[in-house]
Amino acid sequence: MTVGLLLLCACLALGTSLVLGYRRPRVWLTWTVAGAVLGLVAALRVLLGGDPWEWQSGFLLGGEAVHLRLDGISAVFLLLVAVGGGTGAVYSHEYWSDRRNPSSAPRGRAWWSALLLCMGLVLTASNGLHFLIAWELFAICGYFLITLDRERSGVRAAGWLYLAASHAGTMGLFAFFTLWASLTGSWDLCPMRTHPELAPLFWLALFGFGVKAGFFPLHIWLPSAHANAPSHVSAIMSGVAIKMGLYGIVRFSGWLPIPPAAGWVVLGLGATSALLGIAFAFAQNDFKRLLAYCSVENIGIIMIGVGVALLAVTHGDAPWGRLALAGALLHVWNHGAFKSLLFFGAGSVLHATGTREMSRLGGLVRNMPWTAGLFALGAMAVAGLPPLNGFVSEWLIYLGLFEVVTGKGTTAWIALPAAIMLAMAGALALASFAKAGALIFLGAARTEPATQAHECGYWMRGPMLALACVCVVMGLAPIIFWPALACAVSSWCPAWAAGTPPAPLATLGSAQLTLALVVLAAATALWWKSAANGLRRGLTWDCGYAAPTARMQYTSASFADIAVGWFRWALQPERKAHRPHGDFPAKAIRLERTPEMVLEHILTPVGDLIMRASATVRRLQQGRLQFYILYVLAALVGIGLLVLVGRTP
Amino acid sequence: MTLILHLILRLALWLLLAPLLPGIINKVKAWVAGRRGPPVLQLYYDLAKLWKKSVVLSQLASPGFVIGPAVGWVALVGAALLMPLGPAGSALSFRGDVLLLIYLLALARFCTAWAAMETGSAFEGMGAAREVSYAVLAEAAIIAAVLSLIVHTGSVSLITMLAPSPGAGAALLAAGLFTVLLAENCRVPFDDPNTHLELTMIHEAMVLDHSGPPLAVILHGASVKLLLFAVLLVQAVLPIGEMTPPAAAGALAAGVLLVTISVGLVESLLARLAFRRVPLLLTTAFLLCVFALLVAWKGDAT
Repeated sequence: MTVGLLLLCACLALGTSLVLGYRRPRVWLTWTVAGAVLGLVAALRVLLGGDPWEWQSGFLLGGEAVHLRLDGISAVFLLLVAVGGGTGAVYSHEYWSDRRNPSSAPRGRAWWSALLLCMGLVLTASNGLHFLIAWELFAICGYFLITLDRERSGVRAAGWLYLAASHAGTMGLFAFFTLWASLTGSWDLCPMRTHPELAPLFWLALFGFGVKAGFFPLHIWLPSAHANAPSHVSAIMSGVAIKMGLYGIVRFSGWLPIPPAAGWVVLGLGATSALLGIAFAFAQNDFKRLLAYCSVENIGIIMIGVGVALLAVTHGDAPWGRLALAGALLHVWNHGAFKSLLFFGAGSVLHATGTREMSRLGGLVRNMPWTAGLFALGAMAVAGLPPLNGFVSEWLIYLGLFEVVTGKGTTAWIALPAAIMLAMAGALALASFAKAGALIFLGAARTEPATQAHECGYWMRGPMLALACVCVVMGLAPIIFWPALACAVSSWCPAWAAGTPPAPLATLGSAQLTLALVVLAAATALWWKSAANGLRRGLTWDCGYAAPTARMQYTSASFADIAVGWFRWALQPERKAHRPHGDFPAKAIRLERTPEMVLEHILTPVGDLIMRASATVRRLQQGRLQFYILYVLAALVGIGLLVLVGRTP
Repeated sequence: MTLILHLILRLALWLLLAPLLPGIINKVKAWVAGRRGPPVLQLYYDLAKLWKKSVVLSQLASPGFVIGPAVGWVALVGAALLMPLGPAGSALSFRGDVLLLIYLLALARFCTAWAAMETGSAFEGMGAAREVSYAVLAEAAIIAAVLSLIVHTGSVSLITMLAPSPGAGAALLAAGLFTVLLAENCRVPFDDPNTHLELTMIHEAMVLDHSGPPLAVILHGASVKLLLFAVLLVQAVLPIGEMTPPAAAGALAAGVLLVTISVGLVESLLARLAFRRVPLLLTTAFLLCVFALLVAWKGDAT
């Protein structure tokens, strides 16, 4: 089947699931997964075949001919949509089932199919007008999915914030596409590298798509939306939907002429985003918020790769850009896989215990061994630890940065700090996920619900297993993904088409494979040896204290205290402490919370200022007729004066 | 065939020599204090004894408690195998292997912290929190040191990166890396491996609950890590690649011995820092490495 036919079938399958699936979950699941598989095959055909697919309609829609295109870049993202959409659909079959959520589950299914369709449209639209329409529909689908559980006020607030932020971004995109159309004389989107007058449009695209991508400081909507949405929605928002913003940035930075400062700015924003995003993540007490902030970090890592590629373009298509861009695109996939896995794991925990507070959990590994093991694997992948996939893409991005440094141009002055910040972000990611995994799954249960937790069913475990396999395979055999990446990279910058893989990628893969095998062997051997020597169970040592309780364990805030102290200038944590007094202290409190700093310390005060200014203006409008007559009179006199004094040209 | 033999020899060298270092350090400390001290081979005896002992597991611990030390040990030994050994070269060398080494150390850290948290003990939580937090600064210092070597040699693989002398920045780099060595291996002034007051410790607090073979694996892994950092420090500072093979091997061995003795002397002459000072010292190490980087940049530009 040709790519066009595959895409049409995928579209029809998703359309069928949208129409027929409202009351019939199994029918919906079948058609949605079929659509996702068809989309996956179409994307793979483009990536492995290398030829972009294009189609132009004979009829007009909204005054413009429909122009669809699927090339290497959009195929990378379409693949992600297919995998994220398919696994999420299977997961939601149990997680957000009709039995548990009779009113919102049918709605959720419909919006899910619509979201996948709209994301596919965004990726294929090659006409500015249609792109904007698809983008807006996609944003709205996201809103309705986030607010599925709209009885809770936190969910509604998060939804509004998402909608407002999303439209602020769309405003930038309106300006971007209309300026594009007026400068080029056509809504058609195509490579425009040789039109220097378009260069300033890059900044509009960076803002407009950046709000959706959620890099620092445009991430304000992201933590609350991802934390409050149902977990399968969080997974697709975090793993896939925010990548649409990145798609926009990658797509249009490949087509527009690049302003000389672009690489510097994108690289700087990426490094800031990586470091501060993960610092915020470490400080969180709510595990879904922690995962959401970690997305800010990963978007930052991807932006570092894109930034290096942009620097390379402005320095005569230097070959180091290729490595970094391949790393960035690989990280798009990797992040999609492990972040969806982690959000699914978080969903299982939430499903089993009903709380998102890490300090109220603990010890779940005994009741939920599958979720615990898969979450641990995802945690290692997201922390960029070998032999999993996160390490491969970070390694490629690091190599790109190192090559910039060895080039010893002025560009090294941004690459050096970026490499150091990336290393610190990596160490903080490790800290964050050691904290999240350990507090949720290890130790003793801190509250009653945590002792009652139950393992999730097969429908939820299956997608998690599938994504874990993706993480392992991409880590152990990165070289098999190279042809697809090379295709995408060469469609971004044709100068990098010469497609030999960077030699060490195969070596790295074999090293990772050896490591994985030796790890398995060593773990088995040590377990066997310990069992052979004799295993006894005893109380945790705790320095000889005979009656340890679950409340004596380290909590989320105490675990993060040291590093949060270093980032206090950015995190602005709030503390409430009431120390115990006297010989018989009655009450002591210590609360720590890290709010969304940009929102609460910058945007909200500015908003308040605007509201106060508006309030003073509103005093003019107090409903008395005499005053309105006075205003009319004043206006008339003013106009009269203008006519008398002003000169006619 | 020779390749396999080479690998086995190298592995044996790392595994057998590593436990010597803590013995030397203890001997130096005893000598400064005017005691006889434990024999140099004490750690070997301890490891042999622990390997035969039975295991007491916390009631809360899951299999991760035993798997963690195993994975951590493999990661540390893997990192050691990536490290070139003077004239013997390295077992596996490719562009960017230095990153794999740094991230293998991170993998070991993750596994130790994970296994520590298994027990639900407040002390081990404390140790794990300290370990992963201080590692943020240590990692920044290491990457700055690596960047200075990259700038100096123009190469991103360990074997060519460590061969020449780092020029004018050698002293700065040595001071920075030595401080990182002390922090990463939990020696005085960051941590006191001899104390039995768990409140003040980092690494020792994390392994309070381990016993038997898992503890042996942890102790052996820690000694491999110490040797790894000593070898890295010596090769980063000395122009090993510019010497004849016998001289290089001699210089490497002497350098490692010197580093070990220095650790012992530091441990005898300094007190442990207060915990709020630890980040300050680590930041100093980071700045030293950054200055080494700037010197490398400036030195090569002229």
